[in-house]
This record gives sequence, C-alpha cells and structure tokens, in this order.
Amino acid sequence: MFLRRGFPGLVCGLFGGTLLVGGFGNLSLGLAVGAILGIAYTFALPHPIGRDGAAADRAMTAAAFGLPMWGAINVILLPLFAGQTPQWTAEGMRTLFPALVGWLLFGFALGLLATGAVHLVERLFGATPVAPARKIPEVKTHVVILGGGFAGVTAAINLEKEFRADPTVAFTLVSETNALLFTPMLAEVAASSLEPTHISTPLRSSVRRTSVVRSQVSGIDLANRRVHLSDREETLPYDHLVLALGAVSRVPPGDGIAEHALEFKTLADAICIRNHVIDAFDRADAERDEAKRRALLTFVVAGGGFSGAELVGGLNDFARGMLADYPNLPAEELRIILVHSRDRILPELSASLADYALERMRARGVTFELNARLSVARSGGVTLKRKEPEPAEFEIATETLVWTAGAVPNPLLQELAIERDKRGAVVVEDTLCVKGNAGVWALGDCAVVPDAKTGKPCPPTAQFAIREARTLAGNIRAAINGEPLKPFHFDSLGTLCVVGHHTACAEIKGFKFSGFFAWFLWRTLYLSKLPGLERKVRVLADWTIELFFPRDIVQTIDLHPPPKESTA
Amino acid sequence: MRSRASFLFIGAIVGVLGAAALFFLGLVPGIGVVFGGIFGGCFALLTRFRATTPGAGLLWGLSFSFLLWLAGPAGILPKFMSNTSMGMLDMARAHFAELVGYLLLFGAPLGLLLGAFSAKKAAAHANARPFSLSRALVAGGLAGIVGGWAFGQWMEKAHFFPLIAGLVGSASPSVGKSLHFLFAVIIGATFGLLFQRDVRGYGSSAGWGLAYGIFWWFLGPLTLKSLLQAQKPDWSLAHGQELFGSLIGHIVYGLIVGIIYAALDKLWVGFFIDSDPINRQPEGPGSRTLLSLGRGMAAGLVGGLVFWPQIVAVDGLPWIARLAGGTSPTLGLMGHVGTLTLFPIWLGASFTWTTAAAAGALSSLLGHLLYGAVTACVFLLLERRHQDWMRLDPRYAVRLARLQRPLGTAAPALWFFALGLGVLMPILLS
Repeated sequence: MFLRRGFPGLVCGLFGGTLLVGGFGNLSLGLAVGAILGIAYTFALPHPIGRDGAAADRAMTAAAFGLPMWGAINVILLPLFAGQTPQWTAEGMRTLFPALVGWLLFGFALGLLATGAVHLVERLFGATPVAPARKIPEVKTHVVILGGGFAGVTAAINLEKEFRADPTVAFTLVSETNALLFTPMLAEVAASSLEPTHISTPLRSSVRRTSVVRSQVSGIDLANRRVHLSDREETLPYDHLVLALGAVSRVPPGDGIAEHALEFKTLADAICIRNHVIDAFDRADAERDEAKRRALLTFVVAGGGFSGAELVGGLNDFARGMLADYPNLPAEELRIILVHSRDRILPELSASLADYALERMRARGVTFELNARLSVARSGGVTLKRKEPEPAEFEIATETLVWTAGAVPNPLLQELAIERDKRGAVVVEDTLCVKGNAGVWALGDCAVVPDAKTGKPCPPTAQFAIREARTLAGNIRAAINGEPLKPFHFDSLGTLCVVGHHTACAEIKGFKFSGFFAWFLWRTLYLSKLPGLERKVRVLADWTIELFFPRDIVQTIDLHPPPKESTA
Repeated sequence: MRSRASFLFIGAIVGVLGAAALFFLGLVPGIGVVFGGIFGGCFALLTRFRATTPGAGLLWGLSFSFLLWLAGPAGILPKFMSNTSMGMLDMARAHFAELVGYLLLFGAPLGLLLGAFSAKKAAAHANARPFSLSRALVAGGLAGIVGGWAFGQWMEKAHFFPLIAGLVGSASPSVGKSLHFLFAVIIGATFGLLFQRDVRGYGSSAGWGLAYGIFWWFLGPLTLKSLLQAQKPDWSLAHGQELFGSLIGHIVYGLIVGIIYAALDKLWVGFFIDSDPINRQPEGPGSRTLLSLGRGMAAGLVGGLVFWPQIVAVDGLPWIARLAGGTSPTLGLMGHVGTLTLFPIWLGASFTWTTAAAAGALSSLLGHLLYGAVTACVFLLLERRHQDWMRLDPRYAVRLARLQRPLGTAAPALWFFALGLGVLMPILLS
C-alpha cells in the first residue's frame, strides 16, 4: 500500500512542496507540509485511480482547494501559532499573496503529478490491493406491523427513525386500506367541505423503507410467529409483531339498526353519507307527499360523542346550505336530529363546553333527543326510547340514520390466546409489550395501555396512539439491543371538537376555549397534524375555496342504479 | 470520440495562434509562440475527455490559462528571470495585461474550439436532460434581463450609461440603458446555450454565472468596448482598477443570471417535463425544496457561528447592525447569522464598488469563504446522514444517484477559476 500510494504521494508532495517554501518562509516546513499533504492526498485517491480525464479533474480540484488551505494555514493558523493575530486584514493578505500563488500552484501540481505517479506505479507493480467491498448484512430481524391507521403508520415511521440505515432490520406494514385516513377531518368529508382523498395519505408515500402489504389479516400464529393473510398462501414471519388493528363500529344486532344505519368510520362511509344526503334532497324535491318529504329531509345521527357531534354539526351546515339550491324545499321541513343516551353530549369535554356546543348547535337548527336510545330502525323511520324525564317511546320518520354510537376493538383479536379486557382490547404492560408474549406489542384503539404514572388506561385517541407509537418503536429497538424498556406516559394535551361554522370547543391543558378562536385553533392544529405537506396544501385550498364558493353538491355515487338489462 | 492526434493538432494550432496574438500585442516573447503550441497541445490532451461542450471547454480553457499566468509571468517565471521571490504582488500587478491576454486570446478560444470539436457534445453524462435551444435562449435571456437590471443600478449611480451609449456614437443615458439591456439579454442567452447541460441546481448555476460574469468583465468593458470604438484595448492594471466597480457588477450580474436561469430552467423542466406523470419522482419538488431549505438553514447557522469570531475581530458587528437600524453587536450577529445572504440586497441602498471599499472588505471576504466552506461541509454531512437512510429504499436510491455530480463535468475548472480569480482580483486591483 505504501509503495503504491504513500511513496508516490511523498515524492509528489516533496516536489510540490517547493512551491510552498516561499509562502512559509521556511524550506523544511514547506517540504514537510507538502510531503504530508502529498501522502494524505494519494491515500485519499479512489480505487482504481485510472479513468479518462481524471488527472485534469484532480489537478483543478486540488488547485481550487489550495485557496481555503491558504486562508486556514497562512492567514489564520500560522500567525496564531506564532502568537500573533490572524493576517486577515487587507494589508496582511497582500503580504501573503506569494503564499496564495504557491498554494494554488502546489494544488495543481499535486493533483496532476500524484494521479500520474500512482497510475505509473500501479502499472509497474500492479493495482493497489482493494479491501473487499463491504457486504450488505442480511436482514436478521423482521418487524411486522398490523394495521394502517394512526397507530400502525406512526409506529412504522418511528421504527424507521429508530433504526435509520440499519439494514439488518426489516419492517412490513399490513393494511386493509392503502392510505392513512385522517379521521378528525372525516366529518368535513361527509359534510362536503373537504374532498375525500385530501384527508387520506397514501401509505407508500408515508413510509420510506417499510414494505407495505395491502391485505387482510386472516390469522396470527403466535407459537410459530407467523401472520396469515386472507388473499395469499404465504405467511409473514416476524420477530416482533405490532398489533395496531384499531377498532370497528359496534352496531347492535337485531332491531334493524345494522341493516338500515349508515356507519361513520371509514372514508367510504363518509362518501356514502354525503351522497345519501344529496340523494335525499333530490328525492325530496320531487316528492309531493309532505310526510314522505319530511322523512327524506330528516337526518338522524345516533351517538353524541366526538364523531357524532362533529358529524351532526357538519351535516347541519351542509344541509341548510343546500336549501339555497332547492328553492322548492321549505326550510322548516329540514330536521337534523342527534340522539344521545345521556343527559349531555360530548362526555369527553367538561360540562360547560358540552352545554355550549349543544346550545350553539341548537341555535343553528340541530334537534337533540337526549336520554334517548335508538330501539328500532326500519325503512322510513326509527323508534326512540326515552328514559327521562319520563319514560316514553316515540317514532321519527326518516330515510337517514347514521350510527356513531360506539366502537369495539378489531374482532380478529378475539382469536388470539392473549389477555383482553371486557371490550376485547389487548391488555399490555406499560412498555406496550403484550403480557406474557415477548416480541408481541400492541397500541392504539385495540389495546388497553396503562399510563406508567397514573396506572389508568389511556384513552383510545389518535393523540395517544401517536405517542404510544414513539415509545413502542424505542422499546422494540431496546429489546433487539438487549436494553431496558421504557414505560409509556403521556399527559393529554387536550381535546378539540368542531360543531359548526366558525364554532368549536377546545379544552387544552385545563384551559377552555369556545367559539371562533377554538374553531381557528381546531383548524390550525389539525392542519399541522395532517400527514404530508401535499395534503396540507390540498386541505388548505379546499377551505379557502369554501370561503368563496358554496359546498359541492355533485352526487358522485348513484345510490339507485337502474337494473341491468339481461343480454340473454 | 475524435482521436487523440486530432485533439493534439487542434490544441497546438489554436495555442500557437493565441500565443502569436499575444506576441503581436507584445505580451509574450517570440519563443512564447512555441510554448503556446506546446501548452495548447498539453491542454488538449489533458482535457480531451472533459472539454465536451463549448461551455465546459470555455471553463477549462479559462482556468488553464489563469493557471499558466500564475505559473508564468505572475509566479515562477520572475524567480528565474530576475531572481526575485515567487509570486510577488507587484510582479503580478505588473503582468495584469498578460492575465487578460492569456484568458481572452489563449484560454477562451482554445476551450471553446476544443469543446465545439468534441464529438461528445450531445450529452456530457448519461443522466443529462436533452439540450433545448429554446429553453436556453428564453430562460437565459430572461435571466439576463434581471441580472442586467441589478447591474444597471450601479451603472446608473456611476453614470456609466452615457459611456455605453458612446458605443453607437451617442451620449444619451437612455440609449446606454437600452444597449446595456441588449447586451445583458445576449450574454444571458449565451449563458443558457453554453451551460444548460452543466446546470444542476441553484448553487451550481450561480457558480457558472459567477465565472461567466468574471469572464465577461475581461471581454466586455476591458476589451470589446474599446474595440467597438475602434480603439486599442487598454489592459493595464490602472484601467482594471478604474473598472473595479464594473467587475463587481459583472460578478453580481453573473450570480443573478445563474440563479434566475436555474429557477427558470427548473420551472421550464417542471412544467414541460417533470409534470408528465411518466417522469414523476417519489418526492414532489415542494418537499425536496423544504428539506433542502431546512438543512441549508442549519448548515448556515453553524457556518455563521464559525464566521462570528472573525467578524468580531474586524469589528464588523456594529457595521452589520447598522443595516438593521441598530448599533448593537448582538443585533449585528443576529442579522449576520440569519441574513448573511441578504447582505448584497441590503447594501444595495448605498453600494460602493470601489477598490478602496474592496480593500476594506478583504477581511470580510475571507470570513465569507470560511462561512461558505463550513456551511457546505455541514450541509454535506446532513445530506449524507439523510441519504444513507434513504438509500435503503430503491426508489430514493435511484433519485440520489441522479443527484450525484456526474464525472466529466467542468466543475473542477469552475471551482478553480471562480475561487481563484474571485479572491485574487480584489487583492490585485485594490
């Protein structure tokens, strides 16, 4: 190595060093610096050295590099070593002009000569031995994440951050959908305020080195550490399994609710609700029977939690705004009804804010049926049972029922031999590791995650899922490296709920906000949380357009397609 | 690829002709014609695989002739001829005319002709986009107008327009201004023609623009202006010093042309080429720009902090602070770190492009070089850190490979010419 690289570098450096002597004012120093730089330069040359035109490249590059060398050594370092101030005044630099010329010429000479000399030596004595190319290590650890919701995608993103360029760990994300749905804005899609795809981020764009598998999980073999998929024979082996399967709508069986209610969980649900509302208006416009028309213009939402309240607030704005396009429909026939089983809506918020939300929505035209449960649903109407102030049962004629009153953890978890709570959520330790199952982790809506400080289970919200995913990624890395795991703790930042035009409620770190400011806060915060710059811009554009133009009432799904004629 | 002999022949012939012209002007002795042939041949052999386009050839030729001047009349030659020390400033100043001659009569024609002769001019590298004449002329011309406007601010202040008008026998500032913009458009368009293949981003384009601006200072006010007025060009140091403001103007013009050209070129490519879904990249240009800006800001902050001691040492902070309407050194530091690149614009209100001002700012030049070097190194580290990670994804690996500077460009020549002359000229002329 020294013969082929060091020696030519030494000779060329010494030769070129003669050009530095004037600048240093000292023969030995000039030659020594030249020799050191020459050796360092030739060792830094690539393998193999020979390619057409390389000498010209290196000569000019090294010559250009002479300038910063002059600035660093002659102007600054040498005076400093001599106990003087750096020579960076105009007069000082003029004095050092010969050294500048010397460095530029030295660089050129070194680049040209060293390339030629090494080339010559390698022709005479053979090519410089090259260390074998670094072999890319094989994948040793497979991490499989089940679920493409907030919890799953954030876990994948954080795992990528934890392991960065480590090629020994591979990640696979299994998801039934190919996009991450930003659920806080789902109500705005149903209310035609936002375009459906604008609140969904493609999974393949969200992750960088994670392999995305679009499929449904049909089973998990915990003993053999394999995941079975519904649409293929092969199974996914894993060393670490992350259960982020989320929750599904809990529609009570029987009494027609499951058959007649629209759900509000997925993007398709939101699109369907929007189209259904537009369809109902079109049908009502053509309907001469007042009772039937009233039923078509009555929209019932069951469930007064966040999703129900936000949906009913948005639908109310959308439907009342649509009246301008349907002059034949009297405004008094339009009814938006929220059915809730308790005495106040929004139990996640404090009573004063919930009351504010209720009053504001009521003022904007929403009807509330509190302390009432949906008992029967059928085509053309629903039956409600009221507990207070006095028990009663009554009917509402409607063609639209949306069910938002509850969700349960993914039923797939029922098949696993792991500990679950009464809802069916996986019980995990505060490190997010599933109890008694090393290498199996769970988070998000499908898990009961105890807070390390309070011991209480964390709420199943996106806010917590994102923080859980960070802790989980760190703990998987720690588990692989044999390091101690960190317990999960997070103090909720607060909750926000938008219930209509320029109207929202917010409770942040104990501070309560309502009205326009809370609405502005809601939009700002959720826009910042929406994954992907492109989606942010699209949503912002949608909101801006809404300032100037009415909401779109184009029906994109034909809910009553004509029967196909038989070709036989 | 043409044969080595044909390159050698052309290089030698052009070298001889260039040296003969220098001899005719009394800038080299008779033996210099022989050396011209030898150096021309050497240059042709050395850059046979590099001077692949007229633009690349021009840069290689200019840097090679600048190096010859450094090694010859300004550097080593006097040591042997008169036993003086190597590289003395007075000696370099005394041979300023040779520098102009070497660049314009030897390096430029040699590089341009060899670049035009090269058979590889279709594409310097595999990933290069196809050359577009219309893109080069439109983007270059528009960039020239913007650069010309910036340069024109100084020309107006220095009452330079009547001098330009003198080229067509007029003394009207309006005529001078019209001519100035005409030249600015022509130079901008030729920039596009010469360097479109080499422009890879804002940074590299600014570099090409800087070098091209310096070249045009030698060619324009120092040479062509006199020739168009049927006078012998005055290549003396004194005349160069008189035109120092014009040199700064050409540098500013070149930088602006480079940056605006890159912006327009990107816009053009984005609108007509990249917008085609077939050419879609994993990341949108917006995300890439934001990422680069973030890393650039971090790197600039580190570079600015390194530059800070030098600013303090030369008592520059109060001066910087005045730009922000205050006198506090702390404010100066904040302004300096945060808005270093905005200085030329801020200074635009009272710019003084004189040799005296340049002498006063020489120390700042060194500081800026340090700042640039540190910023570039930190930026590179941040990019590499990110790239190592991204490389695991084949989609990004392909894009990153495409971003690598391909071998065989004239970038090394650009670095030497722009850096060398950028530092040497203020020292020489001030």
